[in-house]
Formats: sequence, C-alpha cells, structure tokens
Amino acid sequence: MDAASRPAVVIDNGTGYTKMGFAGNVEPCFITPTVVAVNDSFSNQARATTKGNWMAQHNAGVMADLDFFIGDEALARSRSSSTYSLSYPIRGGQVENWDTMEKFWQQCIFNYLRCDPEDHYFLLTESPLTPPETREYTGEIMFETFNVPGLYIAVQPVLALAAGYTTTKCEMTGVVVDVGDGATHIVPVADGYVIGSSIRSIPLTGKDVTQFIQQLMKERGEHIPPEESFDVARRAKEMYCYTCSDIVKEFNKHDREPSKYIKHLTGTKPKTGAPYTCDIGYERFLGPEIFFHPEIYNNDFTTPLQDVIDKCIQSSPIDTRRALYKNIVLSGGSTMFKDFHRRLQRDLKKIVDARVRTSNARLGGDTKAQPVEVNVVSHPIQRYAVWFGGSVLASTAEFYEACHTKAEYEEYGASICRSNPVFKGMY
Amino acid sequence: MILLQSPSRFLLQILKERVLSGDKGVDIDCQTVEFDDVRYHIQFSMRNPKAMVLSVALPLAPPEAILYDGLPLGAIDAIKAAYGPVVQILDPPKDGFDLTMKINLTKLPPDEEQRNALLTQIASVREVVLGAPLKLLLKHLATKTVAPNVDKLVALVHRPNESFFLALQPDKVTVVYPMRFQDSIDIVLATSFLQEFVEARRTAALSNAPSCMWSPVPPLELKGMDADALNANAGFVTFVVSPRHVEGRKLDKTVWSLLTFHAYVSYHVKCSEGFMHTRMRRRVETLIQALDRAKSDAEKLKKLVHGASFRRMSLNEGN
Ligand SMILES: Nc1ncnc2c1ncn2[C@@H]1O[C@H](COP(=O)(O)OP(=O)(O)O)[C@@H](O)[C@H]1O
Ligand SMILES: [Mg+2]
Repeated sequence: MDAASRPAVVIDNGTGYTKMGFAGNVEPCFITPTVVAVNDSFSNQARATTKGNWMAQHNAGVMADLDFFIGDEALARSRSSSTYSLSYPIRGGQVENWDTMEKFWQQCIFNYLRCDPEDHYFLLTESPLTPPETREYTGEIMFETFNVPGLYIAVQPVLALAAGYTTTKCEMTGVVVDVGDGATHIVPVADGYVIGSSIRSIPLTGKDVTQFIQQLMKERGEHIPPEESFDVARRAKEMYCYTCSDIVKEFNKHDREPSKYIKHLTGTKPKTGAPYTCDIGYERFLGPEIFFHPEIYNNDFTTPLQDVIDKCIQSSPIDTRRALYKNIVLSGGSTMFKDFHRRLQRDLKKIVDARVRTSNARLGGDTKAQPVEVNVVSHPIQRYAVWFGGSVLASTAEFYEACHTKAEYEEYGASICRSNPVFKGMY
Repeated sequence: MILLQSPSRFLLQILKERVLSGDKGVDIDCQTVEFDDVRYHIQFSMRNPKAMVLSVALPLAPPEAILYDGLPLGAIDAIKAAYGPVVQILDPPKDGFDLTMKINLTKLPPDEEQRNALLTQIASVREVVLGAPLKLLLKHLATKTVAPNVDKLVALVHRPNESFFLALQPDKVTVVYPMRFQDSIDIVLATSFLQEFVEARRTAALSNAPSCMWSPVPPLELKGMDADALNANAGFVTFVVSPRHVEGRKLDKTVWSLLTFHAYVSYHVKCSEGFMHTRMRRRVETLIQALDRAKSDAEKLKKLVHGASFRRMSLNEGN
C-alpha cells in the first residue's frame, strides 16, 4: 500500500490547543493543549556537570529527551510534581521553541495518533504572519526526523474558508476572523490567496477574555484558590459566557432576576481537597464584551473588532470589497460565544450603513450607492474550522499533487517548503 | 513514553465519552489508521444508541503467514474470551475490514471500575486479535508442551506483508524478527541501535530477560523459509523465551512486547534522530553566536545594509 492511498494526517497547531486527526473525518481525533512538560532535573544536571564528565552530561541529556509529556498529561504532571516545568512551544501563533515543538509532534504522531509518519502524507497549518523561514524549519523536522513522504503547510484562515465548503457552496473569497487562544487575526482572502497587506492582528484573544473574567471574579471577592483561579475563569468562560446585545439592558436583566442569570461552578482545593463553590454573574456577558468595547479591559488598545474588520476590508482591493463583506467567516474557539456572530454582524452593518448614508448625502439625491450586504457566517464546526478545512482539502486527489514530496526535498532542500501552492478544490 | 500502550488512545476516548454522555450523544462515523496499517472504523448512530459498531482491518498477511477465516489463529476464541456477551462478531465483516464487532453498551458491567477495565480491553482489540496466536503458543510453553496440529516453525503477520517467526520447542520458543526499514539513515541507526540493545541485555540487571541475539544473516531456525520472507536490511533479531517469561500475569506483557517489537525499534530510531537534530540546532546557534561576537561593530553595520543577510541574522536572533 502506498502512502497516498492512506488518509493524510492533519495537525493544526494552535497557540493554545492542537487539533489533530485524519483527513476525511468530521472531527479531529484529539484536541489537546499545545504544551510540553520537560523534566528539569535532567536538563539542570546536564548543565551543572563539568566538561570532563561528558558521558554523564550526555546521559542526562538522553534521559531529558525521553522523559516528557504533552497536552493535558503535561498539565497534570506539572501540577503534581515540581520536577516538571511547562514549555509552550508556540506563542502568538509562531513557533518559538523548536526543540519542544519537535517533541510535541513526536508525541502527537507516536503516542496520540499512533501512526507511522512514513506511512502518511501530512498537512500542517501556520498562522498568516509566519515567515517563510519557519516553513523551512518545519519541513526539515518533518522530512528529516519523521521521514514523512509528503508535506503541505497550509495557511490557517484559508483552511477556515475551505471549511465553509461542505455547508454552503464553496466560496474562496472572504474575510476570516480567527480568534484563538493566543492570537487574533483578521485575514482577507481572494480566490484562495491571502491579501497579505491587509491582514490585521489585534491584541485581544481567548486568553484575554479568561484573564478579564479572572480579574472580575477576584474583584468581586469570590473565594477561589489563587492557583486555580485562571482555570476556573476558563471553565466559566467556556460554559457560561454569551454575547449580549446591550450591556446596560443586560445589567438590568441580571439585577431583576439574579436567580435566573447567576451560574455556579464547583471545584476542590488542590491542597486540602476541600470543595468550594463560586458564582458567575456579570462576567457571563462582560467577558465577550471586550471584543466590542475593548476599553473596558485595557486602555492601550481601544479599537473594537467591528472597526478593525471594516478597516481591513476598506484597505483591500476595491473590486473585492463587496464579496468580502458578504462572506465574513468565524473561526477559532473564542468565537464560540452564543450570539457572537449576530452581534458582530449588527455592529459591522451599522458602520457600513453609516458610510453608505454619508456618501449618498454627498452625492445628493440623484445617484444612490448600492446597499452593501454584510454577512457574518457561523457554523457548528467553528471551534476547529481550520482543522476541518484541512481534513476536507487533504482528502481530495489534488492535495497529494500539491504536496512537497520527500524526493523533492532531498533534491532541492528545505527551501521548497517556502511556498505551498493553492490547489484546485480550494476554489 | 518509552513503551507503546496496548489500548488505542483514540478508541478508549470515544468509548468512555460515549458511555458517559448517556443518551444525549451525537452520531459518530470515524476512521483511523495505526502503525502497521491497522485500521479502525467506529460507527455510532443515535437511531440505535445502545450499540456501537467497531470494524478492524489487519495488516496484509504475507503468503507464509496462515490465516483462519481471514483472522490469525485463535482470534475468534480470544475475542469471545475477552469480551463475553458485550461483543457480537458480525459475519461477514464490513467491506474493506477483517473484523466487525457490535458492542452492546447496555451489557457493560454497572460497576465503574469493571466497566473501565472492559472498555480498555475493547480499545486493546489489536492485542487481542493479532496477539491471539502468540498467546496460544506461549501458553503451551508455560506448561512445557507444544501446541498440537501446529508446525514447528510458525510465521505470524505483524506488519503489512511482513511476518516474524516462532520456532517451537517444549522448553523454549525462539522468536525471530527480520528487521526492515525504508529510509537509508534509519537502516544505519536501527542496526547500531539493535547491536547496543543486544549488548545492554548482557548487563547484570537484565539477566532475567529473554536472551537476545542480532545477526546480519538469517539464523539457523529459519532454514527452509522462502527467500522473500527473509530479505531484511537491518539484520535479524532473535529472542529466546523460556517458560518463566510467560508464567501467570507475565504472559500478556510478553505477548504485547513481542507483537510491537518493530514499532518499538522504529520509535526509538525516530527519537534518536530528533535528539541529534536538537543537538545540531543548538550547535549551529552557538556557532552563529560565536561568529557574531567575533565581528566588529563596523562589520555588523555593513551587514545591516545588505538586506538578505540582515534578514537571516535577525531570524537566528529571534529563535
Ligand atoms: N465553547 C467555548 N466558548 C468560548 N471559548 C471557548 C470555547 N471553547 C474553547 N474556547 C476558547 O478558545 C480558545 C482556543 O481556541 P483555538 O481556536 O483552539 O485556539 P488556537 O488555535 O489559538 O490554539 C481558548 O482560549 C478556549 O478557552
Ligand atoms: Mg487556531
């Protein structure tokens, strides 16, 4: 059996969570935090021993290389034992630590998916701002360490657009609003190509929502053990937060009927094992509100999401703008808040309508500008839209043609990984 | 991780989630592939929330490995023994698979611990099916007998189109693996890994482990085997298993270790490659730092003017 007849492996390494699985499936097999727990005692030992004792140093290095965990297991290990420290290989969408990244991939492949990397083509993802050099590093690790037969590195928002594919008719022009855990990008795409000059990034992410909720709960005086508070805030966010249409009205609603709106979370204190409970009130709608009113969270960045999207589209080529407004696609875990797409669509439409009105006023009553259709698209697989798009594309015959093969890598070197052509099926 | 676990993490996750979520689940239709081309297809429909259908495809068997109704020797009995009334074997299996089982979720034991043990056992279906002949033959070894109606030299499939061999005697079973790798660097690394492995076995701490040999040519036990079955590019590994290695609870562990020996070596080869690359990257970084320090400031300034090399420098600093 040759590798092209087996399903490709699709791995979307996000800053916060890695989604991995096989092409052709609807869901990733595993979603696990992108984190590695390494055993410090070995690495410190390796550094502490003197030059003369290179054998001991070498052995300590070997042990450190074998003794590590990833994902939820890594978090559990570091909580229960101080010999492990956590390393987050990806920050703000970019790989920062290639050593732990390689370890992470190794475990994903051998211990989670349990597949032989020589048997499968691979589709990996990268953020829209990744420099081409990073792709070379990725290619080097994939081809040299894992001997993959073929590799394609896709841009995350393009995959998110492709995810719309089976739900509606395939539309490879649109704006992807990807709000993940550690990076938020607004990326216009025309016919499958990213309009690089118009990409916008904003410093508001899922992690910020969690931090904001954590801060609100602390200020309100909820009794949560400090080492647990971030995790409690994250759980509260994922389970109970929603987007409201008007903050003032929402405050009133909560005040009128607290019993209907206040939710509870329980946990046990890690040290004593005693149970505790906390209330979640205004946080439920204030958390997601930071995207629409960033000033409530932070004074340094105050442009609301809808403004950034509008500016992004306005800076794109004029002949693409109408199509872009018409297809605004949400992707990433932090767009999962209830009614997020409704609110975004309403607020963006307000801006666009106001612009049309002013231009009509300027033109006088004779010629009227065509109204602009604004459409924010939401679908159930939004949380892992990038992975799903990868899964769909990697199950087409064209994918195998578009991949860089090991033979090409050996002939031309890692630089071939710099460009990954858009292929048919993408548009 | 140093040793592969027997249950498939993916199957176990689905089974547990399914059971925990009770009636408010969603449909599942998912396929995965494990090492050595073992494929799983798991199906669950809300129309019949009491049952799950799991199909398994085994590696393509080479001509010398004999199957019985498409499955390894003793597999059907092993499935019945492991799962009892919870699992029903569907005949014929789903198209493209070698075994299809219907898992009756209502018949799972009510006690949580027992239930989890059984779910783990279902997720270990690979070991149950592919390990069945090994287990059967090694059980005889435990009682110092040879299974009746079996040849003295048995070929068992463990990878697509590849088998390993068991030479049966009442007081010992000799297990031989022809080792094959695709990549030329892997062949070199695996060969030296195996020699080290044999060497490590000789140390005092491991004197109770099965004795172990490596040779570049087929060992005598394989005399008479077809040449195709014996073309290995990383030599032959031989283990001699004696009754004490398979007594009581040791049997299961021995079966799984023998079944996944190739995967074990292959995984360690990849680990060493990763290890070497880590060292190489670090070395390049320190060399670049040393070069940077050696440069005078004026030179650095000159560099800055040339766009391309500046980009490369700043990239390395960024890492
Ligand atoms: N149901 C949910 N509601 C709100 N936020 C969620 C939900 N599920 C996940 N998240 C948040 O989404 C973020 C992860 O999103 P993801 O797209 O996987 O990020 P990345 O790709 O950057 O790793 C985390 O901050 C997580 O807390
Ligand atoms: Mg992401």
